[in-house]
Order: sequence, then C-alpha cells, then structure tokens
Amino acid sequence: MSGQPSLWWIDWRLSRAPLVRETIGRFLFLCLLGFALLSLLLSGGASRFLADRYAITAVLRAGVPAAEAEGLARKVAALPPVRSAAYRDPEAAWKEFLRAYPGLDPLRDAGGNPMPGYIEVRMRPDRLTGADVAFVGSALRSVSHVEQVLAGEEWLPRQLRAGRLASGACWGIFGAFLAGFFVVGRLQERARAVALAGDFAFLAERGVPSGRLAFFRAAGAAVSGFLLAATGTAAGGGALLLSLRTFPSLEGVIGPPSDLLLPRTVVAVALFACGAALLSAAASLLGWRAARSGRK
Amino acid sequence: MTRGSRRLLSALLVAAVSLGFLLPAAAQAARDVAGELRKERGRLLEMKEREEKTALELTEALREEKRSKGRVGEMQARLTRQRSLLSRIDRKISALNKRLEGTEKAVRELEAAHGQARTDLQRAEVVAFAGQRAEAGDPWYPSARERERHFMRVYLAADAEGVARITRARERKEEELSGLERQVAVTERKMAREKKVGDTLLSRQEEERRRLADIEREKKRKEKELKSLRAKIARMESVVSRVERQVKERERRARKAAAGGSAAREPAETPRRFASLSGGLSAPLAGKVVTRFGRQHDTTFDVTIENRGVEIEAPSGASVMSVGQGEVAFAGTVSGFGNVLIVQHGGGLFSVYGRLEAFLVKQGETVKKRTVVGRLPGSPSGKSVLYLELRAGGTAIDPTSVIPLDS
Repeated sequence: MSGQPSLWWIDWRLSRAPLVRETIGRFLFLCLLGFALLSLLLSGGASRFLADRYAITAVLRAGVPAAEAEGLARKVAALPPVRSAAYRDPEAAWKEFLRAYPGLDPLRDAGGNPMPGYIEVRMRPDRLTGADVAFVGSALRSVSHVEQVLAGEEWLPRQLRAGRLASGACWGIFGAFLAGFFVVGRLQERARAVALAGDFAFLAERGVPSGRLAFFRAAGAAVSGFLLAATGTAAGGGALLLSLRTFPSLEGVIGPPSDLLLPRTVVAVALFACGAALLSAAASLLGWRAARSGRK
Repeated sequence: MTRGSRRLLSALLVAAVSLGFLLPAAAQAARDVAGELRKERGRLLEMKEREEKTALELTEALREEKRSKGRVGEMQARLTRQRSLLSRIDRKISALNKRLEGTEKAVRELEAAHGQARTDLQRAEVVAFAGQRAEAGDPWYPSARERERHFMRVYLAADAEGVARITRARERKEEELSGLERQVAVTERKMAREKKVGDTLLSRQEEERRRLADIEREKKRKEKELKSLRAKIARMESVVSRVERQVKERERRARKAAAGGSAAREPAETPRRFASLSGGLSAPLAGKVVTRFGRQHDTTFDVTIENRGVEIEAPSGASVMSVGQGEVAFAGTVSGFGNVLIVQHGGGLFSVYGRLEAFLVKQGETVKKRTVVGRLPGSPSGKSVLYLELRAGGTAIDPTSVIPLDS
C-alpha cells in the first residue's frame, strides 16, 4: 500500500480547472452565507430591531427632583433585563412633544410646560420578552415617584410575535441557502465524479478500493468546505463590518461591530464552518454514490 | 315797656304827686294844670301803649329774626354737612368706579384669555385628533409614539385645566363686578337721595332767607316807627318836665303867698340826698339785681337801652318793703309796669316800686322803713322781678349806689 499514490486532493490533481471554478463559486456563496449568519447572530433575528425601537416610559410625578430621578434611572439600569435607563427632564419632554406636534408650539406661549419628566428604559435585545417587560414594569410601578408606566402592553405581544416570525423566516432562508449550497455541491460532486469516472475505474483496476477513494474525496471536500466556510465567513464579517461602519444606521438592526468578536459569535462561526465541512463531505459522498449508480 | 316810657311815667307820676300832695294850698291854682296834666297823661299813656305795642312787635320781630337766623345757620351747617357727605359719597363712587373699571378690564382680559385658551384647546384637539387618525409618529418607534400620545393627553388635560381655571377666575371676577355694580347703584341712589335732601335744604334755606329779609324789612319799619314814637315821647317828657317845673314854681309861689299871709315864713324845701334820709335806706326785698341801671347793651336784640331803675329777681310772692320812711304818693296801674307804688320821702326824693301784684298800703298812708307795701306776683318759674327806681330832684339815680343790693 505504501507504493500506492496518495488519494488526498485526487480531484485537484485530476480535474484542476473545474475544481477551481467550483471552489471560487463555493467561496463566494459561503461569503454570502457567512455575512447572513453573522447578521442573524448579531441581530438575533428581529430582536435587536424590536429592542432598538422599544422602550418602557416611566412617567414621573410632577415635582420630582432631577437628582432623585437620575438616581432612580441608575437603579433601573442595574436591573438584568435592562440595557439602559435615562432620565429626561420636563424640558426635554416638552421639546420631544413639540417635535412630534410642531403646530402646538405657539399655542402655549403663556401656559408654560405641562409635561412631566420621565425615564426611558431600554431592554436588552435578548431579554425583550413579555415576562421581562412585565418584571421591569412592575418594578417601576412600585416606585412612588412614578406616576404611570407606558410599556406598550397593548401592542408589544403582537410585535414580539411578529419578531419571532421574522426571526424564524430569516433563519429559514438561511437554512434554505445552506440546503442550496448542499444540493449544488452534491451536483457538482456528482458531475465531477462522472467526469472522472474513467480515472477512478483505472485506479480501481489498480487495486484502489472505491470506498477509500470516496473517503479521501469526502475528506478533501470537508477540509476545503471548512476552510472555505471559515474564510468566507471571515470575509462576510469583514463586509458586515464595512457595511456597519459605512451605514451606522444598520447598527440599530444588526448590532454593533464589536459584537463580531464576542466568543459566542466566534463559536457560532466555528460551528458554521464545521457544518459547512460536513455538508461538503456529505455532498461529495452523495455525489459519488449518484455517479456510481448512474442516478442524477 | 321801654326805659324811655318808664322815665316818662315816673316824671308824670312825680308831677301828679306834686300836684296832689305837696301843694294842697295851691290846689285851686293847680287844678287847671292838673287837668292839663291829665289830658297830657292820657295822650302820653296812649302814645306809650302804642310805643309798647311797637316795641313788643319789634321785640317779636327781633326774636323771629334771631330764630330765623338760627334756622338759617342751622340749615347752613346741615348744608355744609350735606355737602361734605355728598363729597364723601362722590369720592366713594369715584373709587368704586375706578375699581369697577379695573374689574371690567380684568373680566375683558379674562374673556379674551378664555377665548384664546378655548381656541388653543380646540386647535390642540384638532391636532391631536388628526394625529390620532393619521397615526402620527414614527410607526417603527411605537414606544415613542405611545409616549407622545400620552404627552398629548397631558397637554390637552393641562389646556382643559387652564380653560377651567380661566373660567373660574372669570366667574369670580364677574361676581365681583356685579357686586361692585350693586354697590355703585346703592351709592348712587344714596347720593341722589342726599342730593334731594340737599336741594330741599337749599330751598328751605332760600325760603328762610327770604323770610329773614322780610323780617329785616319789618324790623327796620318797626325801628323807624319806634324811633318816631320815642321822639314823640321825648317831646312829651319835655312837656311833662316843663309842667313839673311849673308845678314847682306854683308850689313855690303858693308857699311865698302863704308866708306873706302869716308871720312866719316857711323856707322852700330844698332837694335832699337819699343818704341823708333819716333812718337810712334798706333793700325792698332779698334778691338779685338782674337788670342794671344806666345804658345797658341787650345781647339778645343787639341794642343799647337806657335803664332808669334796676330789676331785682326774687321768689314769687315775696313781700316788698319801703326803702325808707315817707308817704305813699301814688298807688295805681301804669301800662308796662303793672301795679306801681310811689313813696315820697320828701325833699324831692321818691322811690318807685313796679310790677307788684297787690298793694298793702293806701295812697296817702305814711310808711316807715321796711313797711311791707306790696307783694310780688306768682310765676310758674317761681321767680318774679321787682322794678325799683329812685328819683332825686327829678333825676333817676342808681339804686345800687345807695341801697345794698345783691348783684
């Protein structure tokens, strides 16, 4: 057996040009998938989008000193589900109101500012759930300075449900693309196996077991798939980083670039690369079998 | 009765006494003179009655004038008070009107503010409604939209509260305004009433002034009449004096003739002084001199009068005593003096007691010092007045200079 040629990268040695094309194609596809994967990981589907637009408003009673209101905001910000809590004084509330209803500005020249101060509480995207919102809401209502809590009880469940659906759809699309990657890979592997059937038959006549040949081909596909997925995801991450820097507004939907280097992101990318390797290997084996059986 | 008439009466009485008692020997010669004197006395009495009547009328006119002047003065004072009151009311009305204007202005401003606030509220409601219908706010930021809607509710509530506050303030001001208007109306009614009272006072004062002018005219007329009468009386006095002198002359001649018929010549009686009267003089009664002798100014009527005697105030019914020894020369009624008693003390000295109620001696009766000659009349006030006149040689002298009298 020691005199037998190595079967590693047999396809590369037998059919270099098509393999280069396929590899480039896979790389680009995996770049796209990597970009999508990272986007989904960072945004949590629609969670970040919702969390960025959702806030609990704790309307304070009239006459609450700013120092006490700010202290209360700090305490609220310390709650686990809360991402941030900021106190807005009556003047800021009045300005915000006039921005929303600019026509009312001249109507209250003499009437003064009737708006109360408030605390705007923003939830962590991953903690934007009905239970956490209710927890924070009840915590705020128990404070004597708080007159009313606006937590969107009427519309939030609907939005959360829509967010879950959107997230599922996004992941579904991602999965479909991944399945497409697999199907295309299988077809390419089969086509190459058919194209190299003569060469493989020659090797079989020389005593190379077909199983061994298939294993090495699959192993090669897995390694290349892993590497392509890793590099493609890295490239996709780079593109995402570039996009986030170019369009900061995307951060509200996807998330901050710093999240790209979070361990959970890195682990997820590694798992994705492994998955891509497995899919590549599976596509190689299935393509080999299809070529051998004469099926498409 | 005036002082002039008293003097005249005294002179007349002296003359009569002289004729009747001092010269009984020359009675026949004096009869003609006495008849003439009686006639003159009748005329004089008539004139005195007229003078007294005129003097009484004048006195009444003076009293009426004084009363009228008092009424005019009182009305003037009331008018002054009325004017002061009217001025105060006017000032009050001015102040009330000022407050009224201020309150009206405040009400107008509140009404304008109320209208503006209502308009603002309606516009805000329109804006809010339009925003509600158009689902104002960014739909991608429902929390912000929810907060803005809450703020809109706060805004509308504040506006509604502002409108309600202005409405309440306006209602309060309107209540205040109506209260002030009522006050002004009440004050104006009061002022009108007081003006009416003032007008009435003015017309009454005018009427009183007219009446006063009438009184003044009447007084002047009476004064003129009185002056004329007094002149006549003076002339009459002059006549009486002349007659008195004639009586004395006849008396002297009669004595001379009598002396020629007898061996002894009786010397003519020379006038004496009261101080030299035997036994001295005493007060006719215990009392207080209320009218002095001589020229006295009457503050009531603002006139100067000549008193020939004094008036002594004493309890009603008090006994009147002779001031010295003598003989009752006359006891009768004299107009203006009531019952008059004249005591001749000799030597041309006479004491005259007027305003007696009754005589306790008779004419021709000899009296001693302190002989009760009469009594004062009764009076509701418990006080009566005795007229006392002393004459020496046809001239009235001050009784207080020779008799100790309380003054």
